[in-house]
Amino acid sequence: MPVKNRFAEMLPEITAWRHDFHENPEILYEVHRTAGVVAEKLREFGCDEVVEGVGRTGVVAVIEGTGTGPARTLGLRADMDALPMTEKTGLPHASKTPGAMHACGHDGHTSILLGAAKYLAETRRFSGTVVLIFQPAEEGGAGAKAMCDDGLMDRWNIDEVYGLHNMPGLPAGHFAIRPGALLASADEFSITVTGRGGHAAQPHGTVDPVVVSAQIILALQSIASRNADPVKSVVVSVCVVKPDTEAFNIIPNSVHLMGTFRTLDPEMRSLTERRLTEIAIATAEAFGATAEVTVKNIGVVTMNAPEQTEFAADIAESVSGHVDRATPPIMAGEDFSFMLEERPGAYIFLGNGDTAPVHHPEYDFNDDAIPAGCSWFAELVEKRLPA
Amino acid sequence: MPVKNRFAELLPEITEWRRDIHENPEILFDTVRTAKVVEDKLKAFGCDEVATGIGRTGVVGVIRGKSTASGKVIGLRADMDALPILENTGLDYASRTPGAMHACGHDGHTAMLLGAAKYLAETRNFDGTVVVIFQPAEEGGGGGKEMCQDGMMDRFGIQEVYGMHNWPGIPTGQFAIRPGGFFASTDQFEIRVVGKGGHAAQPNKTVDPIVTTSSLVTALQSVASRNVDPIEQIVISVCSIESSSKAFNVIPDAVTIKGTIRTMSKETRALAETRLKAIATSTCTAFGATADIRWIPGYPAMVNSEEQTEFAAAVATEVSGACDLADLTMGGEDFAYMLEERPGAYILVGNGDSANVHTPEYNFNDEAIPAGCSWWAGLAERRMPAA
Repeated sequence: MPVKNRFAEMLPEITAWRHDFHENPEILYEVHRTAGVVAEKLREFGCDEVVEGVGRTGVVAVIEGTGTGPARTLGLRADMDALPMTEKTGLPHASKTPGAMHACGHDGHTSILLGAAKYLAETRRFSGTVVLIFQPAEEGGAGAKAMCDDGLMDRWNIDEVYGLHNMPGLPAGHFAIRPGALLASADEFSITVTGRGGHAAQPHGTVDPVVVSAQIILALQSIASRNADPVKSVVVSVCVVKPDTEAFNIIPNSVHLMGTFRTLDPEMRSLTERRLTEIAIATAEAFGATAEVTVKNIGVVTMNAPEQTEFAADIAESVSGHVDRATPPIMAGEDFSFMLEERPGAYIFLGNGDTAPVHHPEYDFNDDAIPAGCSWFAELVEKRLPA
Repeated sequence: MPVKNRFAELLPEITEWRRDIHENPEILFDTVRTAKVVEDKLKAFGCDEVATGIGRTGVVGVIRGKSTASGKVIGLRADMDALPILENTGLDYASRTPGAMHACGHDGHTAMLLGAAKYLAETRNFDGTVVVIFQPAEEGGGGGKEMCQDGMMDRFGIQEVYGMHNWPGIPTGQFAIRPGGFFASTDQFEIRVVGKGGHAAQPNKTVDPIVTTSSLVTALQSVASRNVDPIEQIVISVCSIESSSKAFNVIPDAVTIKGTIRTMSKETRALAETRLKAIATSTCTAFGATADIRWIPGYPAMVNSEEQTEFAAAVATEVSGACDLADLTMGGEDFAYMLEERPGAYILVGNGDSANVHTPEYNFNDEAIPAGCSWWAGLAERRMPAA
């Protein structure tokens, strides 16, 4: 079975939704318009239940099947939020909001899941229940966690969860997946190096936090190069260095370092947190300064369950004929990981063709991928919950 | 008062002594023949007292003035030892001992002080006591320190001390001096960075002392750049880095670094020692390694006393018509120990356009002898004028 014919028919309509979302991007939890449009459409499709305000601005809808097989519940998830970037695509449907842009294709994800919902509500050729999950704040806001913390899984008795993400560089409509770790854990760290400020011409009266910070940044490189097992993966990136003054001739009192670390297993995560803390504190001490370290976990490893992954890959194979079942892991984070921590499931990449990379001001979701994405969701339901 | 006429007369004799000492160089404390020559001459000049074996092979002569009513006692010091260098001057009085050479002009220093002693013992035209000090082992042996430890200052009642060194590049017979810190302290350090060795392909099972040491060497730069008052002088040079294994594919257990620290004051010297130890200890802690620090004290900074420096410069000006402000030198000089015990001054006398000291082509310039001798004699006669 290739792409379902119904989605070829619906493509202009779904594309119109997608362009509307693209024109009206909203950031983090502020997805009020988007969530409103989503809820309205879900009601229009005839969903059995539509609940707004789950995880602040998330939307959940329920579609009951008409089949008589075992009644289980599948969760299908899409994300709705955009990024704080200024769009440079020059497209007719480009963002109307300066400084906000759908640069990660969540407009496409939401439209695809809406398309699948419309089809499933029309046909209902499955047993049990489909729960559609539209989450806010995937981009650094842990919207998935907020929805889980609101009791999402138990409230709707979800047994398994599935999600997809578009992937520039992979031909449009092709799929890629792997069992186990697919995307990395993400932690934000912040190191405040406090020395003693003073006049730039009198360094001997100071404890210079700029030099201490430089030394810490260099020393942090040794976590990946020396502490980590070379067959495992870790990324430690210092992304912000910010002194508490901005003068040319003042040695600041403190310097704030911010960054992120990514790993693909919990052991590496805790090793990295421990070494980062030790290096910062002892290096600062070497210079007579102090370091205050805080680490905030914002995403766990996206861990695909073996059984559900194999099933998801089989469905992708039937939909598109092209599925890479052993795609390499990516060190980016994904907060669908919080849902996969609560329930078994799988996350799959959907080819976006030869486009600009995500998080790039010239990126755009590829509408040609819509039929494959919709078909994958619909087929998952019909095969996993046979009528 | 220009050069004293008597020294013009004595020049051939003093030159003969100088060349005899040059032909028979002796190293460190092994200045047995040289000390014997000095002892015999001092006795022949009619010194009131000649003591040997002070600081192992040092010699001290006492010459009382026509009167000693002033109660003043000044020490005049020369060094006797040669260097372990193979001479390459081609002179007819070149070293007869292969591998030993008077390449720092101590032959000239000894001969000049002997000349001054002969004159002072003949004339005794001063009110007080002159103590002439001939020390062994200036070149890294701490001979000056050993003579002090033998109680020289108290035993002979020395109140002030003076010293002189020839200086290639300064016109022959011209003088240069500076008050305060003049020659550097010369401490050495050895830091053994102990990690945990292992296979180069499994850095995660090791604590790599090479990365730790690299970070340590970089961090040590901050002592000069950040900790020390920029007006003060300091040099920290790491001169040797050696791993405990020599293989291409073994992470060593330990790395040893060696180097030297030069400063111009007690305070900077103490700060450098404190910071070096703190940086080494905490940097190693940051990487999970440990630092075994060996601190090898060298000569202290040689600091000229203000008043005696001014006086020494005045005498030099009388002898040669001028006395320049000398540059700081980051080399060490163990006359520093004598200046730690008593106020005094150390002066440079020009050796003209000769090869540099400590090179196989160097030779002391005999034309500097009258100026040097006159300075010594002038010091005694002006500091303790006869009634």
